[in-house]
Amino acid sequence: MAIRKDANTLSAAERAEFVDAILTLKAEGIYDQFVLRHANAIMNAIHRCPAFLPWHRRFLFDLERELQRVSGNPNLGIPYWNWPSGGANAAMWNDDLLGGNGDAGGVVRTGPFRAGQWTVVNSSGSPAGPLMRAFGQNGFPTLPTQAEINQVMAVTPYDVPSWNMNSNPSFRNQLEGWIGPNLHNRGHVWVGGSMLPMTSPNDPVFFMHHCMVDKIWHEWQLRFPNQGYLPASGGPFGQNLTDPMDSTPSGQIGPRPIDVLDSTALGIVYDDAVVQPQPEIPLLIVGANPMQADIGAPGEVDVFRFEVPSFGPYTLFTTGSSDTFMTLFGPNDPNIEVTSNDDGGENLNSQIGRNLSAGTYYLRIRLFSPSATGNYAVAVRAEGNAPNPIPELAVDGASINAAIAAANESDLYRFTITTGGIYTIQTTGTTDTFMTLHGPNSQLPEIARNDDGGASFNARIRRQISPGEYFVRIRHFSPVGTGPYSIRITRG
Amino acid sequence: MSHHQETFEGCTIEIKDDIDLTINGKVIDYEQDTAKKKFSSKYLPYTQYDSLLEMARAIARHTVEFSKSKK
Repeated sequence: MAIRKDANTLSAAERAEFVDAILTLKAEGIYDQFVLRHANAIMNAIHRCPAFLPWHRRFLFDLERELQRVSGNPNLGIPYWNWPSGGANAAMWNDDLLGGNGDAGGVVRTGPFRAGQWTVVNSSGSPAGPLMRAFGQNGFPTLPTQAEINQVMAVTPYDVPSWNMNSNPSFRNQLEGWIGPNLHNRGHVWVGGSMLPMTSPNDPVFFMHHCMVDKIWHEWQLRFPNQGYLPASGGPFGQNLTDPMDSTPSGQIGPRPIDVLDSTALGIVYDDAVVQPQPEIPLLIVGANPMQADIGAPGEVDVFRFEVPSFGPYTLFTTGSSDTFMTLFGPNDPNIEVTSNDDGGENLNSQIGRNLSAGTYYLRIRLFSPSATGNYAVAVRAEGNAPNPIPELAVDGASINAAIAAANESDLYRFTITTGGIYTIQTTGTTDTFMTLHGPNSQLPEIARNDDGGASFNARIRRQISPGEYFVRIRHFSPVGTGPYSIRITRG
Repeated sequence: MSHHQETFEGCTIEIKDDIDLTINGKVIDYEQDTAKKKFSSKYLPYTQYDSLLEMARAIARHTVEFSKSKK
């Protein structure tokens, strides 16, 4: 197990243990092998791409095992650089841990990695002078704030095509720093000097920096357990979930992204990992007045959801003076993209007109320019005649015959209970159905769900139900499954 | 076709036809983001630059590959 702590909270003994372990690896030549592994990797295979986060997680894992070996401490973890409290005056830059800023020429002359004690190597492994730093001198005078970290922590999905530095919306790309507030890249540039080139692991703060990056990814994974690594497949080789990553040797764990997704399974413990609740997704009511919203920070992405009760034509649109870009996901899965639009509406507004099957849809809205901010309003309206009425199930009445006719389709039914008691709702047929029960008097609160409680693969819910109007949603268990079924509600 | 050559921090930077970049005679591969009008290189993977020359100067100043030539 590796216990990773805030670098500014380490005891004197913990600082000495970490520094001694780093210096021992340097003397053994192991440390420089890590520098070369990073320096000689294909830049676009480990940066500016989905594998950026898993590649560096594995990189940290491997160094940590070496630190544990030479220290004899199986719980030694790489400290993380907590940027909001890690500025130039923070304790981590004291002489008993990292040493401080470079001198007027950029040369580090304090701490255990000072000139004369520590020599960096170039990408060929040859000695290339002292460690260099120039805090805040290369265009970024400040480090990321907690508010900026929180902004990135709200972004989903993990990544999107084109799987590079232009991907948007993309948690990976915002954390890496090519869009949004810039977290990872800014840390490298803020330190400057030896942290700027591909040989950046020459500065031990590299590992603390990436430990912070990894901590944020870990907390994001805990916050969004349904948001997996992307691409699962279909991306460039080396970037897909089960592809081997560049410059990643065989070891105790595999070289693929899938091998490092679970930090807990890797024995990694962060001292204060926080599981934040998922942000509530605002609900757009079909046909209601537009909802006011704004992109308050560059790169921000707003997410909305709305319910489609039955198949029909719908229009999704923004209004206002901002140049919006919208992407539609669903039904019932926030990661399945349906379509996107830039300027389909009035002026520079986005608009999507499309037939939608029943289900929950998710609308992500950003501004076309990743550096812009601005206000807008968003709405969804059903086109044509009034939406089809929701079919009503009669208690102890006849079955309704229906079908899941398309991938991810779901069917909605309603029924009214006038006398409280035990009721059973079930499907019959050969289709593997999945049922959710909502109410009373609203389609939103889910009060029960079932997969195979009925005969064969049929869903069945039997429970006490109080008087009121209820809604039952039926979908196929498989997101791509289709097939006929019958549904009925009985008392008892 | 333009041709620029300068000595910066002990390194010879040469840009031919606004495209071909060498530092101390070594060809420097780089990427141009045409949408953002930015330049970047594997030598400095965390930064984009507004011009080829600005990027070349940063490479000459910050990368250990060229530090030997400055000593």
